[in-house]
Amino acid sequence: MTCGIQPGEMRTKGGDSMRRPIRLLAGLAILGLVVTVPGSGGLRPVSAATLVKIGVDLPMSGGEAPNGVPTNNGVLLAIDQANMAGGPYHFEEVLKDDAVNGVHDPAQGAKNIQELIADPAVAGIVGNFNSNVGKATIPITNAAGLVQISPSQTNPGLTKPENGALDVRKAYPDRINYFRTCTTDDIQGPVGADFAYNVLKVRRVAILDDQETYGKGIADEFEKEFKKLGGTVLSHDGIPKGTQDFHAILTKIRAERPQLVYFGGVTTTGGGLIRKQMPDVGLATPYEGGDGIVENEFLTVAGDAANNSFGTVASINVERLGAAKAFVDAYKAKFHEEPGAYSANAFVAAKIILDAVKAAGADREKVRAWVAGLHNYNSIIGTFSFDANGDTDSRWISIYAVRNGKWTWVDQIRKGQM
Amino acid sequence: MNWILFVQQLINGLSLGAIYAVIALGYTMVYGIIELINFAHGDVYSAGSFVALAALTLLGATRHTAAAGLVFALVVAFLAAMLVMGATGVVIERFAYRPLRGRQRLAPLLTAIGVSFSLENILQLWMGPSPVPFPQLIPNPFFDLGPVSIGQMQLVVICSSLVMMAALHFFVQGTKLGKAMRATAQDWMAAEIMGIDINQTIALTFFVGSVLAGAGGVITGLYYGNIWFINGFRAGLIAFTAAVLGGIGNTTGAALGGFLIGFIEVMTAQYIGFQWAEVTIFSVLILVLIFRPTGLLGQQLPERT
Repeated sequence: MTCGIQPGEMRTKGGDSMRRPIRLLAGLAILGLVVTVPGSGGLRPVSAATLVKIGVDLPMSGGEAPNGVPTNNGVLLAIDQANMAGGPYHFEEVLKDDAVNGVHDPAQGAKNIQELIADPAVAGIVGNFNSNVGKATIPITNAAGLVQISPSQTNPGLTKPENGALDVRKAYPDRINYFRTCTTDDIQGPVGADFAYNVLKVRRVAILDDQETYGKGIADEFEKEFKKLGGTVLSHDGIPKGTQDFHAILTKIRAERPQLVYFGGVTTTGGGLIRKQMPDVGLATPYEGGDGIVENEFLTVAGDAANNSFGTVASINVERLGAAKAFVDAYKAKFHEEPGAYSANAFVAAKIILDAVKAAGADREKVRAWVAGLHNYNSIIGTFSFDANGDTDSRWISIYAVRNGKWTWVDQIRKGQM
Repeated sequence: MNWILFVQQLINGLSLGAIYAVIALGYTMVYGIIELINFAHGDVYSAGSFVALAALTLLGATRHTAAAGLVFALVVAFLAAMLVMGATGVVIERFAYRPLRGRQRLAPLLTAIGVSFSLENILQLWMGPSPVPFPQLIPNPFFDLGPVSIGQMQLVVICSSLVMMAALHFFVQGTKLGKAMRATAQDWMAAEIMGIDINQTIALTFFVGSVLAGAGGVITGLYYGNIWFINGFRAGLIAFTAAVLGGIGNTTGAALGGFLIGFIEVMTAQYIGFQWAEVTIFSVLILVLIFRPTGLLGQQLPERT
């Protein structure tokens, strides 16, 4: 089917030649309008397919681009494959960046989400990456009834009523619209503690966190479980935002003679520099953290000191899953690199929305209801269902260690139904 | 109380405070002469480390470079950072602040914030948005001083800062240009009548302050082994607080304030809880300002019109 101005089309019945140039101009003007309307995608061969947009909000710039870019790649791959398969819908991504001056920003995330909601063609959102951004965005998508699936936000308070989630989904507490394909820090933190206690055989730890939703949350969960196991938590300090010099706090920690330093937070909020400065004060213990430090940026920042660090990731290692082989191959072929820690989760998050649109149509409420009813969904990260709060029942935690300056997979643990 | 630990933290505080002090000098000099809080100063400091990194990369210096080559590379890196940042300071003053001189005070203040953002974004465009590793050319072994120890880099930080402060003191108090700076700070109209080139003197103040900040940037780059385009923000904020604490406009006060804040930060980490570091710093600042509104060494300046 073609669209465009046919040679004879501008000629009117009356054939008034004086008016022709004016009409031609008007036609061109309308054409120009079509080309320049933001988001219209410009001139494209119009097919019968209905355009449906998938909103994405991730930190795409700054020190966190290494998190956002591979995650977004997962979404792009899912959309590509859905379009390739054909069907009545043509899918398109609307990408928003929630990093301001290099750091994820809840206010920017909220603004991005509002823009996505304002676009009627957006059927669902994949995002965000960081838990504190979710605290700002979920209330907005909840009020709008728009489905939002995060590949990586692990703070329990975003979904679980006992952790305060009813304040987050205030508008419609029973109309669940926020889901995630990763598991939560009340699983990730304790698995980290189990690993420290049972595998590393550590009994005395010092804890630091970056005082953010994610960092403090996972550090608190680690502390709780480690104490429950019978270990001693010598100290638990928060670090002021933007600190570069950790010699004082590490000197204090060294005097407590810990066997491990645990950090709750991400590389850029201190995770890398703390590891780097530990040898400066003669602190030679292993180091452990959550998924916020299991990335290449940590290796760059910590340099030689990175070895003997451990980290948990709230998802399964796709390279070890037979079902994900096709995904990994397609990812490598398209982006010429290994998938990031949350690429597969983002792929699945996007695919759920795409499948929902295909099954239930592009109506937001129908999409939401379809996702909320997801049961035994077969995906590249295994078969799972969403529970009554929107959390996945596939509670996989992978454990990594830095060996010879690289993050290497050590183990993965599935926590039972809770 | 564990006195060994206390002394160890004093050493940490000394090296941390030395960095704050060097940056604070630039804030206080500029404020002293044109009563402008130059918010871009923290970013000048972080830009200095980027220039040094570029110079070191150009020279191909790594940890494995021979000693003679290393000294040469370090000298070049310091000179490059200091001169480029000095020039940057002068350019900022000439094009961002001078056109607004004499206008209402809010305009240059907001301009300073704008310059700060511009510098941050230039650094981000230049070296990318992620933290960049800085070659650690000076090894960092420990020297034992009885039960406590001091890292070689801490010694370098403390000594080089003291040298810079002494040089600045000599420059301001002992040279003719320094005298012109002091005269302009006291009363620029009278100074102008006495034949002092005001514009040149103010430009010189920006140059000297930015040279110090540039050098500070190189030192911390070598010390922490990482630089990031956003690093100037917190360092600048804390150093500005140090300048106010010591008495803004007074160079000795700025140095004193820098060391004091360094000590407060490390002692908070040791005895109260690291997360309270900024709360403690600002509480002390407020207390000091209640009893001494002009800061520790600040003097009541005559009202200017």
